[in-house]
Amino acid sequence: MAGREFSVYMSGVGGQGLVLLSNIIGAACARAGVRAITGEQHGLSQRSGSINVHMRIGERVRSPLIPIGGADAILALEALEALRYVEYLRPGGIVLMNSRVQHPVSETAGHMKDKQAKYFSAEDVRSRLLQVTDKVSVLDALGLAREAGSPMAENIVMLGALSTVEAFPVPGDVLRASVAENVPKKAVEVNLKAFDLGKGKAREHLCTLVKCRE
Amino acid sequence: MVSVGASDVVREGPARAFMLCNEAIVRGAIEADVKVVSAYPGSPTTEILDTFSAVAPSFDYRMEISANEKVALETCAGASMAGLRSITSMKSVGLNVASDAFYSLSYTGVKGGLVIVVADDPQAHSSQSEQDGRYFAPTAYVPMLEPSDPTEAMRMVKAAFDISERHGVPVLLRTTTRVNHQSGVVEVGTISRKPFAKLPWDHPPGRFVTVAEAARNFKFAMLERARRLEEEFEGSDLNVLHDTGSDTGVVTSGAGYNYAVDACRELGIGPSVLKLGTTYPLPRGLIAEFLKGLKTVVVVEELSPYLELHVTAIAKDANPSVRVVGKLSGHFSEALEYSPNIVVDAIAKAMGITPPVDYAAVMAKAKELKQGLGERWPTFCPGCPHRASLHALRQALKGVKHVVATDIGCYSMSFLDPVNYGDTLLCMGASLGVAAGLQYAVDRKVVAIIGDSTFYHAGLPGLVNAVHHGDDFTLLILDNEVTAMTGQQPNPGSAVNAGERPAKPLVLENVVRGLGVEDLTIADPYDVKGAASKLKEALSRKGPNVVIMRRACALHSDRLKRRRGERIESNEVSKEACRRPYTCVRDFHCPAISIDDGDRRTVISQELCDRCDVCAKLCPFGSIRRREGG
Repeated sequence: MAGREFSVYMSGVGGQGLVLLSNIIGAACARAGVRAITGEQHGLSQRSGSINVHMRIGERVRSPLIPIGGADAILALEALEALRYVEYLRPGGIVLMNSRVQHPVSETAGHMKDKQAKYFSAEDVRSRLLQVTDKVSVLDALGLAREAGSPMAENIVMLGALSTVEAFPVPGDVLRASVAENVPKKAVEVNLKAFDLGKGKAREHLCTLVKCRE
Repeated sequence: MVSVGASDVVREGPARAFMLCNEAIVRGAIEADVKVVSAYPGSPTTEILDTFSAVAPSFDYRMEISANEKVALETCAGASMAGLRSITSMKSVGLNVASDAFYSLSYTGVKGGLVIVVADDPQAHSSQSEQDGRYFAPTAYVPMLEPSDPTEAMRMVKAAFDISERHGVPVLLRTTTRVNHQSGVVEVGTISRKPFAKLPWDHPPGRFVTVAEAARNFKFAMLERARRLEEEFEGSDLNVLHDTGSDTGVVTSGAGYNYAVDACRELGIGPSVLKLGTTYPLPRGLIAEFLKGLKTVVVVEELSPYLELHVTAIAKDANPSVRVVGKLSGHFSEALEYSPNIVVDAIAKAMGITPPVDYAAVMAKAKELKQGLGERWPTFCPGCPHRASLHALRQALKGVKHVVATDIGCYSMSFLDPVNYGDTLLCMGASLGVAAGLQYAVDRKVVAIIGDSTFYHAGLPGLVNAVHHGDDFTLLILDNEVTAMTGQQPNPGSAVNAGERPAKPLVLENVVRGLGVEDLTIADPYDVKGAASKLKEALSRKGPNVVIMRRACALHSDRLKRRRGERIESNEVSKEACRRPYTCVRDFHCPAISIDDGDRRTVISQELCDRCDVCAKLCPFGSIRRREGG
């Protein structure tokens, strides 16, 4: 493992379980003997604000913040948040994004005044992102989470998809075990199913864009 | 919110765990056998309090979630004067509140180790200012340690207790947001704690009394103590020198160190690095030695040029020809937090190197790509009673000229887009004092808004003052039962305190009446019409009067519901009934409500709705109702 570095810029909307997701990855790193640091955002406990976690894996990284243009991947739990931090993506980096859009209240306020206004859509985000990378994969994480048994498992669906990426330096089975260890006891089964569904879905599209594990 | 690391805090070591720095600080204090913990929540330190609270049942330390930071520090002071080890944590501005006790405590000193974690917030992520708390240390002659990451924070907490006890002085552990909110893989040690035991008070009378002659004597002792501390820090392994033989050097500490190391790697340069862990007293001899033979020294620190001014002064004798690169040279700003690219750019410019990435070009491209992307500011959660309270206040003040003095809490966000409400905001409790001044100065109705936790923290003297002077304003106390913004911690109105142990809940209306307020109204913000009319009446009367808007924080009550196994219901909009008056959007701005791109009717997100039902009560056409099975 030593020497391999990988930075993931993780973004979403308050309430989607982004910090839990980064803790699950971090705990997996601790178990696998991989060095990882994160720069997290806590403090405003409100739901519905834009949030992010900088996740950096590698023996030599010191800064908990990813440099501009330094993220190997963006993992977005909400579609608009995939674009909000696009400056962090390195050219040709991977974007793994949820298709779900949570419309910001500022946009809705505009809609009330302008009858022609259209919301920014997941497709808008995807087409903009394609200007800087050819590796954009969109996932219906909410649908898969519901299929797994709980809409709250969107974050784990996304993790399952990320786990397939070969360059991501944490073994998939260790990630899966970390999910089981770190979600609430009664939600383990649902979350493991969510992880597997995300992984399966990634094989259909993400893995046609980037090299995946067997 | 306690993350998964909390279980690692109690785990027997040695072991490896992924921990938030704030959790590592708690682990360090537990390994150092801390016996008394007392704090008021404040970002970015809140998870220290939360973690201590979460793991309290596993240990025998005594803990209070205090009414404010001053009481918290004084509680630690009492315990440490007696001889127990104690710790408190607070945000930058929290130390302003506690500073009265802080300065005197340095005079009297302590017996048991006392550690004060104080976290500055460059970028003012969740604070009202970018205050640089490092200046507390030299002005109070209190030693200060600065970690860069969780591993170091854990080690420094233990060192801080040791220094505190050996020198009889409280020790500051100074962090910044990007240190507190950094997680990493930490090797935890063994936990070996002595059973809690009360101590005799064996100090001579007056030992901890500082005034006049006693204060003058303490001052001389304090100066001598600072001298001894500096001597000790000259050889301390908390300061790390990495000598590469280069004629360029970097002096740094805390978060700056992380960026500096990565920046040098990015730029392919290998300067010598002096990482300072003891930033007061500064090891001036060590710095002087480091400067000798250097052509250029880059000082990497956020906020004020604290290290830089010292480095410049030391260079005057040690190496007058060295070029100091920092804020005073114009390479770095005193505003906002640093980032890897800011440090790369500054060092590259100073060294005449071209940075590997043209960050400005990347940012320009990103800006172009983000055209039309709506801002997503923090806002009131679905179901938040503050949204309903502010809506009712707007209704009640329709046609009335007014000015609103607001305070620190979730309701502070009301000034952000698209709510845009509130005229003044200074610091905890200031709404009352500012309102007192406004009622002398303005030709209109004066309204003050404060939350229950902030009221107990710093609002009480303001209300005493207003009652005594008959100040003419109306105070709204938004009582949501918890300290909501920092994660719904208990406050003096709660029936529990740290570790969910039972505590006596103060009855807010009794407190208000007890302070002499005769005109008191209580309203439920979810009762849309009732709340607005009660407010209207109260606002029409001469102040001082108080309206308590009472309804539990939605996140808090949802958590309790889930714990009881209850479902969170949701509402939906009837397409047939909706005639698009947008009453549920205008001045309301709930994240669960959006407008359909096609038929322009409103839509309620099942995932986000909390079914507070306030929007349903606002709708003139009754088009919002409970979702069946939702």
